[in-house]
Amino acid sequence: MYGGGGDASTMYYGCAGPVSDWTQRIASLQPTIDRSVATMYGRLPATVGTGAAGGGAGGGGAGGAGGNQQCHDRVKIGFCTDLDKSVLVNNFEKRGWHQVNGDDDWHFYWAGVQTCRNIFSVDSGYRMHDNQMINHFPNHYELSRKDLLVKNIKRYRKDLERDGNPLAEKTESNNSSGTRYLYLDFVPTTFVLPADYNMFVEEYRKFPLSTWIMKPCGKSQGAGIFLINKLSKLKKWSREAKGPFHPQIAKESYVISRYIDNPLLIGGKKFDLRLYVLVASFRPLKAYLFKQGFCRFCTVKYDTSVTELDNMYVHLTNVSVQKHGGEYNTLHGGKWSVQNLALYLEGTRGKEVTDRLFGAISWLIVHSLRAVAPVMASDRHCFECYGYDIIIDNALKPWLVEVNASPSLTSTTVNDRILKYKLIDNILSVVLPPDGLPDVRWNKIPSADALGNFELLIDEELAAQDEAQNNSSSSSHVKSSKLSSRWK
Amino acid sequence: MEELQDSSIHHMTAKVIAAIKSAKCYEPIYKELQRLVASPNVYKNDMRNTLEDAIKAAGLETEIRNMIYNLVRSRLRRLDVADGRQTTKSAQSDPLGYLKRAGVLWDRRVRKSLNAMCGELKVPLHGQPRISADREDFVAKWNELSNYNMDLANYRPVYAPKDLLEVLLSLKGPTRPTEKTDQIPQWEFSHIALPVKNLFELRTHYAELLRSDPYSVPDLAMQCQRILDSRHAPMCQQYLKKGCTPAPYRGALWASVLDSKLHDYDIDNWQKLRNSVWTTDHIVDKLVFKDIQLTASNDDQYFVFEDVLYQVLLCFSRDTDIANCVEYETFPVKGKTYEGPPSGVVPFHGICMFAAPFCYLYDSPVCLYYTFRAFYIRYCHRLTTINTHPQGIVSLCLLFEKLLQTYEPQLWSHFRELQIQPLRVVFKWLMRGFSGHLPPDQLLVLWDLILGFDSLEILPLFAIIILSFRKDSIMQVSSLDSIEAILADLSSIKVLPLVQLALSRD
Repeated sequence: MYGGGGDASTMYYGCAGPVSDWTQRIASLQPTIDRSVATMYGRLPATVGTGAAGGGAGGGGAGGAGGNQQCHDRVKIGFCTDLDKSVLVNNFEKRGWHQVNGDDDWHFYWAGVQTCRNIFSVDSGYRMHDNQMINHFPNHYELSRKDLLVKNIKRYRKDLERDGNPLAEKTESNNSSGTRYLYLDFVPTTFVLPADYNMFVEEYRKFPLSTWIMKPCGKSQGAGIFLINKLSKLKKWSREAKGPFHPQIAKESYVISRYIDNPLLIGGKKFDLRLYVLVASFRPLKAYLFKQGFCRFCTVKYDTSVTELDNMYVHLTNVSVQKHGGEYNTLHGGKWSVQNLALYLEGTRGKEVTDRLFGAISWLIVHSLRAVAPVMASDRHCFECYGYDIIIDNALKPWLVEVNASPSLTSTTVNDRILKYKLIDNILSVVLPPDGLPDVRWNKIPSADALGNFELLIDEELAAQDEAQNNSSSSSHVKSSKLSSRWK
Repeated sequence: MEELQDSSIHHMTAKVIAAIKSAKCYEPIYKELQRLVASPNVYKNDMRNTLEDAIKAAGLETEIRNMIYNLVRSRLRRLDVADGRQTTKSAQSDPLGYLKRAGVLWDRRVRKSLNAMCGELKVPLHGQPRISADREDFVAKWNELSNYNMDLANYRPVYAPKDLLEVLLSLKGPTRPTEKTDQIPQWEFSHIALPVKNLFELRTHYAELLRSDPYSVPDLAMQCQRILDSRHAPMCQQYLKKGCTPAPYRGALWASVLDSKLHDYDIDNWQKLRNSVWTTDHIVDKLVFKDIQLTASNDDQYFVFEDVLYQVLLCFSRDTDIANCVEYETFPVKGKTYEGPPSGVVPFHGICMFAAPFCYLYDSPVCLYYTFRAFYIRYCHRLTTINTHPQGIVSLCLLFEKLLQTYEPQLWSHFRELQIQPLRVVFKWLMRGFSGHLPPDQLLVLWDLILGFDSLEILPLFAIIILSFRKDSIMQVSSLDSIEAILADLSSIKVLPLVQLALSRD
């Protein structure tokens, strides 16, 4: 009698008579408000999972995709993945896809960067057909390699400046040397070593007291990173690197960036933000921001004293680094939701500064993407989900630290798993056409429902349409109004 | 008749004046008043009018009004009740005597456990001076107590919600009929003769939640700012009733309603409490550390505030004002009495969750401390003691059961068939005021309503609402574990629409 999922309520509540005017109302709201009850992935016991949750997962969670699957029963969608992660496979299987081999005819490939490179390389001779989709752009490293990101942003700013674009306006720097960009100053001063060594030394001499952070260009997850506050230490490192014991370092290039030594601390601890940005296309630029990012906290108190300079647990928030610290907590994994950050900042600092911060974050993401858009191979088969690492300083200014093209899909906690499952689900529903079959001819304009927890950061195509409609307003005006206060 | 009224007003005034004089804030106000009297705006010939004007102009009038408002709310009402009780009822004939007795016994039992723990671990109950090395370490790490190392292996929480629940479920009243003990175990509360509201009365109490504002205010924040500028505590309280307080104003509104705005003497007092923590090593310190490590440190909503919570709860344990403000049940019970910690509050499993939500409102531990303390004194302590107060945990449990029985009979009989006490499922929510169960943004809305309507009755009501909301799923399972699993994740629950829905009628 009580079987069935959400819509059963109307069946048996009616006969209750005087019992429950308000319970009935509650029940009728159930499918809309409490959608995630049905999709509490991995939280419900097995008995419920088969009934309520199992039934609900298709309808509630999948958004537009679920209902449309029947449309193309003739095409069985084949997926292929290099990563054997449950958050991926469960999502694919939930959509009724079947797993195939990379050599077979696949429709959707969640590939590692190497596979992607092979597929797109001229030598492979592989030609993707219209109903195939892959999760990387062929030259994503323009954004994800630390040296190239900086190079692209520098070039983007110079180009804008040359065109006399107001975005490239400069202002006197507050630490008395030279100028900085008023609106596009969102990456810490960075140089590529060894190429820009002389430029670095010049900058170093201007600010002899600042700390610098060295990162190998090609590595991720905090590997090979160290801090420098004396030029002599860099020289020593460079001598050692040339020595016979570290032949691999000599070949590698590094970036050296001004270290944000005034980070915003919460509860006395340093953190950075991990935000997920989905790019469906670079030309025209179509990008979406996942609302459920999180803060990653250091387990150890922030301390700038020189003795602590070598304690990487203080400085690096990467989970892969923090996991090895003695204080790592497996229940929350040092992760705190962006929603909680916003609530805390609004409560303690006020709404205006909080809105400004989140506006600045959206701004930073959009312009980093615009910086690489001209050099990206905007293949219509591709989409990519980037992990943006952002540090907020104590003046509530966000700084872009780096962009990861293969953000970790490993789940450290229960909530992490729920979040990542939802992330993948939402990615699929944004990048796939309404009928669920990959198709390069689709206009890539997802419906509002399909967005899920994503929100539109920028869609140049839509913006252009808007602009054509109301020609009166200038282009920069439209953009800026589009960017303001997207976070809520 | 008029005479009687006059004398009653006179009686009241006398009481208020006496209360004001004994209040902490009396002295600064009195000094300010003296300053005003001597100011050039006050004329000797027209003292009354000019002084009144000066008081108003200096904003002192609002302050005095707020003070009286808070006094009438908290202390005088209590005095009246206490007077009434003592004269009319003797201990023997009090039908609620067994409940009061249970309250005294519970408190005694908790303290006895603490004493026993002290004995076992061979530490004095009154604490001992910290040895100088420890003291230096402690002071140096005051802002990062999570890095303060100590061995807590032998310490465990004195009691947990479950322990209190067991005691509550075993309460036996004299009026309880004995012949009904057949197959179904007796697990109802309804025999307890405490008056609780029914849904109709709750609707009346919370009527303002449903009232659509005829003056639709476009800018909530601006309205809020104006109310705060006026500094009238009753208006602040009224504002919280909307249940849509803008986050940036919540801290100030709560402090105003709870009369916990910082005075100079509060800051002095905070430093004294801190010094007391620095100089003496008390067993409750260990219990506080243990509790935070077991709860807040593992909570993905609150772990970032771990170090603030250490400070706040350690100072809380030393604060003797709390013992003076909290009303304990009194009833003559023979037997040994035990001493408690300076604050009179024995830390239990989860006590830090009462303080944790305040971390989202205040950056400074001092502000956090006083608002949290006021909230604890006004509300939280009733959730951890057995008492006859209409908003004590016993009444709230009773209210929960009656609401469930009346408005969710299907669920009620489902629980009954499974022989699961419905209270077991929701008790931890009630005892913690949902802290740690609801996500912070929603929890703060719920606590807005507690403060706005000055009542904890929203807790059992909201527990019913959640059960009702998840009814479909609950009806499909048949074990306590499965029911708890269904109710484990409240992250999708939105407080205001659900409460409004439940209270509205067609």
